[in-house]
Amino acid sequence: MPAPPFADRPRIDALDKVRGAAAYAADMRFPGLLHAMTVPSPVARGRVAALETEAALRIPGVTRILTPADFAPTQRVADLPNSPRPGLVPEIAFRGEPLALIVAETLEAAIEGAEAVRVRIEGAPFSATVDSPGAAREPAPDVSTGDAARALAGASTIVEASYESPTQHHNPIELLSTTAVWADGRLLIHEGSQNAGAIKVAVARTLGIDPAIVDVKSATVGGAFGQKGWVQRQTALVARAAMLTGRPVKLVAPRGQIFHLATFRPLSRHRIRLGADATGRMVGVHYEVDQQNSRSGGFPANQYHDGAMRLYGIADYAGIAANIRTDTQAPGHMRAPYEHPACFAFESAVDELSYRLGRDPVALRMANDTRTDMHTGKPLSSRFLNECLQIGAERFGWSRRNPAPASMAAPDGTQIGWGVACGLYPTLIHPAVATLRIAADGSTRFAVAGHEFGQGIRTALAAVLTRELQIDERRLQILVGDTTAAPQHLTAGSWGSASALPLVVQAVARMRQAVAELLDGRRIAGTLHQQIATVRRPFLEVEVSQVGPGQDSAALQRMRAGGYAVTGPAYPDFTTMSYIAHFVEVRVEPRTRRVRVPRVVSIADCGRVVSPRTAASQVRGGVVWGISHALREATETDPRYGGFLNNDLAEYVVATNADVDEIDVGFVDEPDPLFNSIGLKSLGEVSMVGVSAAVANAVFHATGRRLRKLPIRVDDLL
Amino acid sequence: MQSFRLIRPRTAQEAVSAAAQGGAASRFIAGGTTLYDLMKLNIERPGQVIDITGIGELHRIETAGEELRFGALAPMSAVATDAVVSRDHPVLAEALAKAASQQLRNMASVGGNLLQRTRCPYFRNGAGGVYPCNKREPGSGCAAIGGLDRSQAVLGTSEACTAVSPGDWPVALVAVDAGIELLGPNGPRSMPVDALYRLPGETPQHEFTLAPGEMITAITVPRRNAGRLSTYHKIRDRESYAFALASAAVVLELEGDRIAQARVALGGVATRPWRAPAAEQMLAGQRLTPELALAAGHAAFRDARAGHHNAFKLELGARTVADALIIAAERRP
Repeated sequence: MPAPPFADRPRIDALDKVRGAAAYAADMRFPGLLHAMTVPSPVARGRVAALETEAALRIPGVTRILTPADFAPTQRVADLPNSPRPGLVPEIAFRGEPLALIVAETLEAAIEGAEAVRVRIEGAPFSATVDSPGAAREPAPDVSTGDAARALAGASTIVEASYESPTQHHNPIELLSTTAVWADGRLLIHEGSQNAGAIKVAVARTLGIDPAIVDVKSATVGGAFGQKGWVQRQTALVARAAMLTGRPVKLVAPRGQIFHLATFRPLSRHRIRLGADATGRMVGVHYEVDQQNSRSGGFPANQYHDGAMRLYGIADYAGIAANIRTDTQAPGHMRAPYEHPACFAFESAVDELSYRLGRDPVALRMANDTRTDMHTGKPLSSRFLNECLQIGAERFGWSRRNPAPASMAAPDGTQIGWGVACGLYPTLIHPAVATLRIAADGSTRFAVAGHEFGQGIRTALAAVLTRELQIDERRLQILVGDTTAAPQHLTAGSWGSASALPLVVQAVARMRQAVAELLDGRRIAGTLHQQIATVRRPFLEVEVSQVGPGQDSAALQRMRAGGYAVTGPAYPDFTTMSYIAHFVEVRVEPRTRRVRVPRVVSIADCGRVVSPRTAASQVRGGVVWGISHALREATETDPRYGGFLNNDLAEYVVATNADVDEIDVGFVDEPDPLFNSIGLKSLGEVSMVGVSAAVANAVFHATGRRLRKLPIRVDDLL
Repeated sequence: MQSFRLIRPRTAQEAVSAAAQGGAASRFIAGGTTLYDLMKLNIERPGQVIDITGIGELHRIETAGEELRFGALAPMSAVATDAVVSRDHPVLAEALAKAASQQLRNMASVGGNLLQRTRCPYFRNGAGGVYPCNKREPGSGCAAIGGLDRSQAVLGTSEACTAVSPGDWPVALVAVDAGIELLGPNGPRSMPVDALYRLPGETPQHEFTLAPGEMITAITVPRRNAGRLSTYHKIRDRESYAFALASAAVVLELEGDRIAQARVALGGVATRPWRAPAAEQMLAGQRLTPELALAAGHAAFRDARAGHHNAFKLELGARTVADALIIAAERRP
């Protein structure tokens, strides 16, 4: 039986966060702490011929300089989230690659030391962008179903267009920070991460030590968005420095360097042919996508199709994909990494189709609904996209829209446009283990795989725990992101809630059973705490585990070993996706052509909503980022030099409060009947999917200008 | 970032003497919003930093007389929200309020803001030998010319440099013929704000006409030049915390329904705060219509020269001037 609706509750850590009491990784203090700074490569490709460190070592406070000689040589492997990163190496694969690590008594000395290192480099030719000579196009496996060519040949209307989503960087406010402590034969790492378990294994591998002696803690993360899902290059460097100096070492990477160290959303180009029959049924799609990748990047290109092919009931879909290899650091996952750019392209094409057909864009979408995963033929466990569209259209006042482009204007000549677009995201699940401990002293501790990076997993866990158990919430401790408390998975892909919350239900049932066994028929009044106290036990602890539909204990073992074991969205008997519909109003100024977004209505189908407040906050954040993706953000590369030119928060323009106005969020809040005991699905990423298409569609409706390359800026509309 | 000597004088005279002793490696610091930034980027490497924030006399805001007088250390946020400035002199208040972020405006001083250095990304990002820049390393070349030049200047450029003068406040001050008071090794002097700025020419590393060791102590604004029919209109890539793609400071004086005098200055498009006399002449004696406003805007860009990606600034700049003129005219009581 799915859970009944959950009541609103405050964010469990809100007070700590606004008081500045929440402790992030860089806040951890250790006696004798040393500070580190890297020397980034000024070139995009080459080899270090010599590192001259004498001047740097003379700077007061500089204690040690790590060079490639301090690391065993490692093979560069395909760059994936959990891959071990190399230590310091003489070969330079991208601009900003760390060439040396300065360790000093103060941060200032470390910085001065880093600036004083002289590097002699033998440069090599490089390809900085997808259009640079030498950028190699490398086909990825096709993702196709049915016979798109035949279907398109029979289509009565075909839209054909190319779209481009630019290079973008995550820019969470919390920088990449690593603090490593080497003591008593153990290595302790504090780092803001979504993937503490992988750090444990990967750092051990890079340094040639046993993962069993490595502990990783990432209790509170100041924004992650996929950037912190990948094992960072710096972590093993800092850990090695701690081992060599015998003192705790901390590195907080400067933001300008993070643009070159962390992953990024790669530029992607989408060519779409979308065909419909005379009744307005979408019958076939031929969709080719190219994305920028690094030379050794493992971020797969074909996944752009996984969402797009399931958005409507289109039986014939040809999905072609390719990587374009360039000399950069590896691109990677950035919130809704594939679905977001793909739905910008695809939902723009659907909008173009609606005008070609003379159909209302909402009605056209609703008429192409499906109950089946067209890719696998399996039933969808739940799909309420049409409900999202219906509720959204009503709240937005869509029926008052004049369908003709450039037909709505304010008295001062400001053009008004209303656009719609949909999004979807797979509902995935990762195996996980949890322990619930109820103590006689009135405290409760729940430990599980997961990371709290602002999305509210602690709040959602507390919502289920406090509903299932009469416990004192002030004495409830929820441990996430801590490899000493529970094995940790990569918390990403919006699988955190589905992988953790049903474990609460299971743990509570197991706990009740354990208490019953303990009492052995005795009737004792009071709470579980009181019952445990009465029988003179300090605490009772139960462990539970969960795997995804179709997974067996091997997946759980992989997870316990720090491996990646996610499954979905196609399960043995069904496919599970989350959905959203966005309605956007834009206003385009008559002369200077600034685009403003005064209001957005977004309605999501994420199954049962467990934590209404943090869920709505997730959607608002996704919408803000979608607006920012559509109108603001792009990282620029000068092909002559490589690297990212606008590498700070002043010049990499993310939306500010002044750029967003009313965002009305709603949920269908219908539990998924098959996926898990609570009926919840994924939410974090689907929130932003489709927003940028809705903005671009609204700009078209306002101006009659179809803009297929993001971001849309005044330059495009003058 | 290297070690430096920190000096905290109590008077302007002490500050100037310290600067004279410190020589070329000496820098004054007020809010630090530019200097610290550039020190962190390893572009500024001062050997001596003179913290002038303890000089009480330089914080004063005086709005009683025919001339407004702002001590160089008055925070941008304080001048922007001053009762008289915000009520009677919108062009000044808006230029300050639309700059940077509230946190930065709280720290930054109105005097220091005049000396803000360019945001040209090639200038800021190149320390350590990545991008050549004639401003940072004279003679090394300019990476922006032929590079990603969307944000570069279209007015006042040279073969050596196209970096935009980033400020908003200086643009408003140039429009209203404001002056500055200076104190240097040879004593006090004053000059128009307009005379503070150089064109890049062949020596883009020299941006200001200050003599070595000279310090700005106050800004003076003839009250009648910055009246209520004025605005600072700023178009940028987002609605807060961004530098101008194009901006216009406009002040109108009307006689009946005709413009007696228009003051127009441009920001975000030029290598220095840019007065637009051609636009002003076209407007003088005319009735303002949307068509005339746009024509005046285009006149302001008659001598503009675009690079690869910034040609849009000619049209955007003209339209920004037009909108600014219309906004200012609508403030007629």
